[in-house]
Order: sequence, then C-alpha cells, then structure tokens
Amino acid sequence: MLAVPQPSPAESRENQTFEALLWALSRPGLVRAMPGLGDADLLAALVDRECLVHAADPLLIPAVLKTGAKVAELTDADHVFAGTLGDLAVLDQLQMGSDLYPDDGATLVVHADLKTGPMLRLTGPGVDGTLDVHIGGLPDGFWQRRAQIMRYPAGFELFLLDDDQVMGIPRSTQVEVL
Amino acid sequence: MAYVATRGGERAIEQAERLFREEIGPFDHSRVHEIKQSLPYLIDRVMGEASLYDEDLAALALAQTGGEMFEAVLLLRAWRTTQPRLTVAKPVEQKDLFTHRRISAAFKDIPGGQVLGPTLDYAHRILATDVLGGSAYAPEPVEAAEKPAPANVPSVSAWQAENDLVDLPDPDPTQGNEIPDLTREPLLFPAKRAHTLQSLARAETGGTLALGYSAMRGYGSAHPTVNEVRLSEAEIEVTHPDGRTFSAGRVKLSQAEVVDKKGEKLSLGFAATFGWNEVKCISAATLDLNSPGAAKGSATEEEFFLYHTEGVESSGFCIHFKLPHYVTFQSSLDAMRDAKAKKAAQSSSSATEPAE
Amino acid sequence: MSLTTLTKPWEAMSYGFLDGSAKRELRRKTLKSVAVPGCQMPYASREVPMARGWGTGGLQVSLTLVNPKTRVKVIDQGADDSVNAASIRRFIARVAGTPTTMDTLEADLIQSRHRIPEEILREDQILVLQVPNPEPLRPVQPNMSIARQMHADADYGRMWLQLYEQIVRSGRVMQGASYPSLVHGRHVMTPSPIPRWDVPKLNMSKHLTILSAGREKRIFAVPPYTRVEPLVFSDVPYKVEEHGHLTCYRSGTKGFFMNEIPQDDGTSTFEVSDSEWGVKAIRKGAGEPVTTGETWYKNGEMPE
Repeated sequence: MLAVPQPSPAESRENQTFEALLWALSRPGLVRAMPGLGDADLLAALVDRECLVHAADPLLIPAVLKTGAKVAELTDADHVFAGTLGDLAVLDQLQMGSDLYPDDGATLVVHADLKTGPMLRLTGPGVDGTLDVHIGGLPDGFWQRRAQIMRYPAGFELFLLDDDQVMGIPRSTQVEVL
Repeated sequence: MAYVATRGGERAIEQAERLFREEIGPFDHSRVHEIKQSLPYLIDRVMGEASLYDEDLAALALAQTGGEMFEAVLLLRAWRTTQPRLTVAKPVEQKDLFTHRRISAAFKDIPGGQVLGPTLDYAHRILATDVLGGSAYAPEPVEAAEKPAPANVPSVSAWQAENDLVDLPDPDPTQGNEIPDLTREPLLFPAKRAHTLQSLARAETGGTLALGYSAMRGYGSAHPTVNEVRLSEAEIEVTHPDGRTFSAGRVKLSQAEVVDKKGEKLSLGFAATFGWNEVKCISAATLDLNSPGAAKGSATEEEFFLYHTEGVESSGFCIHFKLPHYVTFQSSLDAMRDAKAKKAAQSSSSATEPAE
Repeated sequence: MSLTTLTKPWEAMSYGFLDGSAKRELRRKTLKSVAVPGCQMPYASREVPMARGWGTGGLQVSLTLVNPKTRVKVIDQGADDSVNAASIRRFIARVAGTPTTMDTLEADLIQSRHRIPEEILREDQILVLQVPNPEPLRPVQPNMSIARQMHADADYGRMWLQLYEQIVRSGRVMQGASYPSLVHGRHVMTPSPIPRWDVPKLNMSKHLTILSAGREKRIFAVPPYTRVEPLVFSDVPYKVEEHGHLTCYRSGTKGFFMNEIPQDDGTSTFEVSDSEWGVKAIRKGAGEPVTTGETWYKNGEMPE
C-alpha cells in the first residue's frame, strides 16, 4: 500500500491560512494569526483558475496570475484585494450575490489597523452576545455604507489584514459604530 | 473490558474486503491485458461512465472489482479527480471524425453514404455452446469492400441545415479553460449546455436507457427519428506550450443525432460519449430532444434525468441504505409510539364520558 | 515554457487525497456557508474513493481541514466502532497521517453521521456532519430549482402547513430525525438526520458545525453562537425523544439518547448511543481515572 503522503510546505501554509480564515469568519471580531503577511497567502489558499480577481495593487497581479485566476474588473470579481481603502467607491461596485445564490457575493480583503481606531460593537452569528473592537484605517462612513448596500442574505465578506493578523466580518455581522 | 472487546468494526471491514477479494483471486498484468483485449465494449462503457479515456486503467478497474461495474466506474472517477489538468484539447468536429460506422434512419441514402460498420444488429443471437464442448470460436474474416467508405463524412444535420430543415445551434466559440467543466463546478439549473452534454456523456447506460425508453414509449413529447448514429475515432489535438500542435492520440467516440418532426422545422437532440455505446447515445439524445419545455418532475425534464442517470451517485445512494440507520429509526419510533399513546388516551377519556 | 512548468512534481497521492484545486473550491464554499448560516451553497463535490452516500461530503470537508496534527474522531450512529466510521477514520489517517481518537474531548475534528456527541463541544472543535439530503423542503418540493427559489423568498409556508397537518392528523409533529430548523432567523435547514435529541445542541453552541452533502453537492454551516430553532408552533412545544429516563444496560449511564435493543421475550433493553460516553461510564465504574466533559443534557433534561 502507498505510504502516507506528506504535506508540501505550500500545502501546509495554505492549510494554516484557511484555518485562520475559517476561524476568523466563524468568530467575527476576533483576531487570528496567519502564517505570513496577508494578501499572497490568502490568494494561495483560496483562489484558483475558476476565480475572477481584482487587485488594486499591481504588484499583486503576478501572484494572481500564478493561481490561474483571471484578472477582472471590480464589478465582476469574486475576490477583491483592495489594499488600503481610500474611499467608499469600492463598496458600491462589489458583487453582492442574490437571494438565490448568496455565495456569488464577493470576498473583500482590505488592509486595516486592528489595534486602534473607532470602537465598533459587533453582534450576530459567531459573536457571543456583543463584542467591542477597534478597527482603524478604513474610510469614514465605511460601516454605514456597508449596512446600506447589503440586503441579507445577499452581501459580501470582509477580511481585514494587519500584518499577519486577520479579522473576518461576514455579511451576517451587524456592526454598530459607537 | 466487555464494552471495548466488542469493538470489532475495524477487523470486520478488513475481513469482509478480504472475502470479496478472495473470490476474485490474485491477478497480475496478464489478466488486465486479457480483459482489455477481449471485452472492448465493456471497457468502452466503463470509460464513458467514468469520463476517463484509458483502456488499461479501465481494464485494471474491472479486474480489481471483479467486474462490479459501479465499483469499477467509481474507482476510475476517484482516480481521475486527482489528476492534474495539463491542457484542454482542440474541439473535435463531426466532419473530422474518423468514422467506422454511421447510419441514418431518416434517409435511404445520405451524403457520405450509409456505413454499416461493426455491429451485431443483424447477427442471429445464438449462443455458441459448442465452445463449452471444446471447439474454438473463430469468426469469419472480414472481406474488405472494393471501394472503402469515406473516413470523414459530414453530419446529417449539416445537410438538413443547408436545406433549411433544421436550425443548428449557434457555434459556441468558448475555448480551453473557459469551457464549463461539470467535474470542477456544481451542476445548477437551468444547466449550462456544456454541463448537460458532459453529464449525459458520463451518465450510467442502464439509467439513461430506462428514462430515454420511457420518453420513446410516449412519456415524452417527441418521438425520435435517428438522424444518425456514429461510431468513430477522434484525433485529440493539443497545443504544446511552445505553440506547436500535436496529436496526443485517438479516442473512440460514439454520438447520436435524433430529430423530432413536429412543426415547420426539425428539432434536434444530441449526445456523445467516450467509447462505442450506441444504446446510451440514442437514449441520451432522446432525452435531450425531449427536454425543452418538459414538465417539472417528468422523466424528460433536465433536472430529473441528469440527476437520476448519474451512476456513481445513484448507485452509491442505493447501497448506502445498507448502512445502519438505527438512530433515525429510533427517533421515528419515538414519535410513532407517542402519537399512538395520545390517540389511546383520547379514546379512553372519551369512552368514560357519559353518553348523551 | 514547457509542459513540466504547468504541472507539479509527481506524487502517488496528494496530501489528504484531494488535490489543491478541490481543496480551494471547498475552502471558498465553506467560508461562504459560514457567512450565511444554514444556507445551502453548491459545490463541485469531487469523487473520493468511497461510494456516494457514504459520507463523501463530510469526508471532503475533513480532508480539506486536516493537517498532520489534527486529531480526528469519526462516529456513525454515535459509535466509533461502527463499520463505516472505522472505514472513514482509517481512510483519513491513511491519506493525511492524522492521529485519531475516540474521546470527544481529545478531538480537534469530529466527523459524524446521525449524532452529536453527548459531551459539550468546545470553541476550538469542529463538527462535520454527513448529510444525505441537504434539502429540508424536499418532502414538500422535490424539485431542487423550485426549492432553491423558495429559500430565496423565505417561502416556508408549505413546510409549516405540513407540520400543522401532522399535528391535526396524529396529535404531534411526526418528524423523527432531520427536524427542520430555522437558522439565524432566515434559512430553514435540515440538521442532517440527527435525532431531535441533538438539535438543541446546535443552538448557540460554542463549536462550529459544517454540514456537507457529497452526492447532492451542497455545503452549509452553523457558526458558533448562532440561533438554531426547530420549527414549532408556540402552543405545541418541541419534543425530543423520551429517552431522559432510560438507563444503559451495559454502562449504567442514564439520561442520554439510547439504542433500543429488542429482546427475545418481547421487551426492550437500552444501550447508550454515544459509545465513547458508555465506555467512559464503564471505566469510571471500574475505578479507572477517566476525564469526562460536561454534558449538554443534565439528568435527562436539556437546561434552558
């Protein structure tokens, strides 16, 4: 019989990244450590040739192409790597999916400050009661706009990256700015 | 530890598998080779349902499973799913098929001619019992025709389209990785055309026949005429990363066009599969022909026939009923007993009430 | 460029059997299913070396999650030694080199068919439930396209009507296992064929539950701290199986879901369904040091 296959370094890294992302999204507002610095790891763990990817940072494009994914306009992308958000325009163009296929809603990856910033109160699935967190580095009015454009179960998922730290905010999370 | 001692699950499944394998006995490459040589139509059927074209692997799967077809197909599908996708071959057109057999029921003669080719259609089905008595079964050699049939012939529907009898679907320019792939994305409805044809191509032969036959008998809205059924070989052309195109070999292919004659034009149903399997292609094309506008939940509705002709899924689900279900059974029993007790309590309380 | 640059070094088998592309698709869909609790997300569902209907959906999730350190427990009907549980556990260990356990407390990942263990699962544990039929609406609407539209419209009227008819006809809801439940107040899901006894364990639980149907190609999830409410009418309360008073004839443990064992004399005896819980009770009885966790049910009752 065949020997037990061993995970390659890439496989291990993708597995760890996914574990971090899965826990981050299951427990919104709680910070998880990724194996490395953000975007590239997230790409490697999630993105494949079936995906349409939008990356604000041109330096990320080679990594996108390596996955076999197609580089797409923001309005078509299922994975959006927005880097640091300058304004709210990105939100308005995101795919939200539909009531029929909520999974068509985009995954948005944004750089943010997960230590300091305005205080937010989170409620919803994955949050034990309420959770207060500080998230900085996002444009003013971000959370209000997010609430305006989503009609559950349509919506988008948000991963906030701060170095090797990740926080997940799924569409099911209510965010109140305190 | 009485409780622990009863933990025989691991040993039991191990021994049960050994019992199965013991019946097949040890084998080596020669058995695989023999299966491949002697049972080409079985190999074709397995390759088609597995959607994996490799005669050696198909023969190996049959040897390993003792000819349990559903198991052989599952074995191949599970192997196939782990293989890297190197490239996507160029599209194969009907007119480029190397044709061994191509017949049409729609016309007495057709461009390119009726080519009877290899078939048992007109054989007398008499069992050659003398083989069991020790005689050899030696078929008469083929006498080649003076003028060989043309290898490449256009489809019958192409001629019909030229004569404005049928509207062919618009050519689909989708290429390479862009072609939707049923094995890498979920089947959703209304199904993408590529998904429908792929699903039929790997459908289980018996199931496809059963549903196709129900349509043929009258449960469908369309009565098929076989426009053409064709057994052929297709050249698999791929492009090397340096740009050169080369042939990666040939695969056996069967395809069927069936038409319906209602209305001002013919409507067309189509199916194709790996290997030579006429019954499956005619049945699948009949389902395809009947599917537009079919009632929800009828055998000719796309969702219905694509789900229910998927052999790996249907056979797997069928045999899963052998698994223990005593938790669900217990749960239902509880509800049943409670309902019964409620009813008994109700009737006894009404019996003690004074009669009016 | 050459052909070799397009592929990877040959391996007899990928780690965890599934190739990278299968895992990535499952990761994407798992994330979406966590984001919309109880909503069925379609996925390609690769063939695995096990027959469809035998846990291939749960298996694909497990194979995507595991690494060589993940301690895996597999149960079927509550038992670790049930033949198919043994087969799945052996397969995962064989293709992913994972350590295995039968102890619920030791497990990082629990793949289960038809049961949730009796000991409370922790925040760091993941429960993967095998799902034969992911569509709670199938009894009222077998067509998947129409059923999907009903979920989109939150159109659960026929579901309620069916429950109402059962109450009128039989005096109670006749649903045994797979009790339809409303998740996060929006999507009705089947909790998989777990008994009614186990459904309350999903409500506001600490652990993550992922439900996966391989043959039907749907994945859905219940994140921690998510409302899971069995569909009931306010005047006809939800009733779990009346097992709270039963005692296991083997281990003496009482107040848990039981298997009924018919006897020659026409009576029944009972053994606890969560086999490892039974083992712990026997060991405890024999004076061995055993660590047991808190259980969801206390004295045969689920605390409010």
